[in-house]
Amino acid sequence: MLEVEGLTKQFSSGIIKKRNVSAVDCVSFRIEKGKTLGLVGESGCGKTTIGRLILRLVEPTSGTVVFDGIDLFSLKRAELRKIRPRMQMIFQDPDSSLNPRMKIGTSIAEPMKLHDTVPKDERAQKIMELVETVGLNPEHVNRYPYQLSGGQNQRVVLARILALNPDLIIADEPTSSLDVSVQAQILNLMRDLQKKFNHTYLFISHDLEVVKIMADQIAVMYLGKLVEVGETPDVYNNAKHPYTQALLSSRRILLEGETPGPADIPTGCRFHPRCPQRRDKCAIEEPEPVEVGEGHYVACHLV
Amino acid sequence: MMMRISDLKTHFPTPDGIVRAVDTIDLSIRDTETFGLIGETGCGKTVLGLTIMRLLHPATTVEGEIIYKGQNLLEASEAEMRTIRGREIAIILQNPTTSLNPVMKVGEQIAEAIRLHQGLNKKDAAAKAVEMLDAVRIPSPSQRANEYPHEFSGGMKQRVMIAMGLACNPSFIIADEPTKGLDVTIKAQIVELMREMTERKAMLLITHDLSVARELCDRIALMYAGELVEYAPLKGIFESPLHPYTRGFLGSLPERGLVPIPGMSPSLIDFPDGCRFHPRCEHATEVCRREHPELVEFNAGHFVRCHHARS
Repeated sequence: MLEVEGLTKQFSSGIIKKRNVSAVDCVSFRIEKGKTLGLVGESGCGKTTIGRLILRLVEPTSGTVVFDGIDLFSLKRAELRKIRPRMQMIFQDPDSSLNPRMKIGTSIAEPMKLHDTVPKDERAQKIMELVETVGLNPEHVNRYPYQLSGGQNQRVVLARILALNPDLIIADEPTSSLDVSVQAQILNLMRDLQKKFNHTYLFISHDLEVVKIMADQIAVMYLGKLVEVGETPDVYNNAKHPYTQALLSSRRILLEGETPGPADIPTGCRFHPRCPQRRDKCAIEEPEPVEVGEGHYVACHLV
Repeated sequence: MMMRISDLKTHFPTPDGIVRAVDTIDLSIRDTETFGLIGETGCGKTVLGLTIMRLLHPATTVEGEIIYKGQNLLEASEAEMRTIRGREIAIILQNPTTSLNPVMKVGEQIAEAIRLHQGLNKKDAAAKAVEMLDAVRIPSPSQRANEYPHEFSGGMKQRVMIAMGLACNPSFIIADEPTKGLDVTIKAQIVELMREMTERKAMLLITHDLSVARELCDRIALMYAGELVEYAPLKGIFESPLHPYTRGFLGSLPERGLVPIPGMSPSLIDFPDGCRFHPRCEHATEVCRREHPELVEFNAGHFVRCHHARS
């Protein structure tokens, strides 16, 4: 369904002394139809940029993204516009994803109007249908986003997306601003919708516990690179990369220091200054991904 | 006993009605324990911290007693409160980015608190500030003291907040969501630091993050709609939770199966009659709709507010 190959994005920074900052560096993964890939990493590691690159909200430096057999980076504006309804994104903060001056019903109608996915005379009925699908009440349609809770607004965002019948949904930390009991409601809803509509998810999160439940496959990202990719149970039960091991909070591994910015990426393995198991080699040579089990790749000299 | 709070009510008048943010709370915190106050957005947990510090708007009505080392803080004069804040009771606020002054050097901000509360001169206070930055393990502290908050990462800013809170060696600390918004690996570092720095102090840890509470707390209370619904030693809450809200809260965690609690928390203006949790409770019966349950001691030290508490 989605194949990402060697995806790279460099931003140039600085006014006088221009230099390139690589936010995403040669990232590859694939997601089968109806499956979920959980992309995990800490703030600033480039995980949001990957989501935006796939949708071409930012233009890539190099690499390819093939969606349902279509090379997205070769598309012209008009062609891209045609395919956009099939790929949708959910953002972190539902309150700022919705127009505060637009009633919920109008907000839900907007994408189907824009892309003309539902005939005009059927729209009102479709809105009611969507409202029910995402677990809102019919009276919510005439309210404004500020009158709804964060969880309810995230349901509105989902209804807006469903109006377009997308195949791929990129969810960028969809529950990180919600309370745990509400988070559970939204995640369950997303899982039900996936079963019902056979959606493919790229689920971006910093929370490994959430990803464990949501994803079939996990990709762990550190400073623009994937350090470990594999089926969810393999990554959880048999994490090989020291960074993945530290992220699995139950192991109680304390890392030193903080993630450096993408402007000063360490030599060799990017993780080596914080790695509890580093060797001399790690500072010099960058590790290549090695297959340690079926579909389980790790970029670390220790494996 | 370090602090005893009884019959505490904090109400705010608003155009929409009276917000009963704290209504009613009774709890005691022992000399060196860490007491975790867990609750979701809008349950009133932050207001409880601000009530103890007396940092609320003058229009707020506060009733009840907060006895700290024998003195009722609610009756203390503003001058007395000024000697208590920082030196006796310190608060570590959430969101260090907005809590720090962006146009003042970090070292000066810490030194300001030290000069105010401990009467040190400028030079000694500055030296003490550097010492505090070192204590919270900020690398090259004397150089970092001369930098501004924007030059610090989120985790480093949180360390500064902790340094500031502990600078005057208070005996009681209120920490309000000290790990909010931090990355997983940084959160682990801050939890470790908090554990070391507060070892021989009493702390009220306000959080919605059970994993943090589990690492740091001796006892835990669950707060729902302005009141405590359950409190017990750490083990009691995690291994034998009694209140349906506590069970629901634990069950909605991803690692425990992601079973949501239906509905949402009530507004603090308009509580449901009877048990405040009954509209969301699968065990609710007639008595729950009618009568507000009292907090009762179910097992030794394990208190619960539920008509149907069972183990």
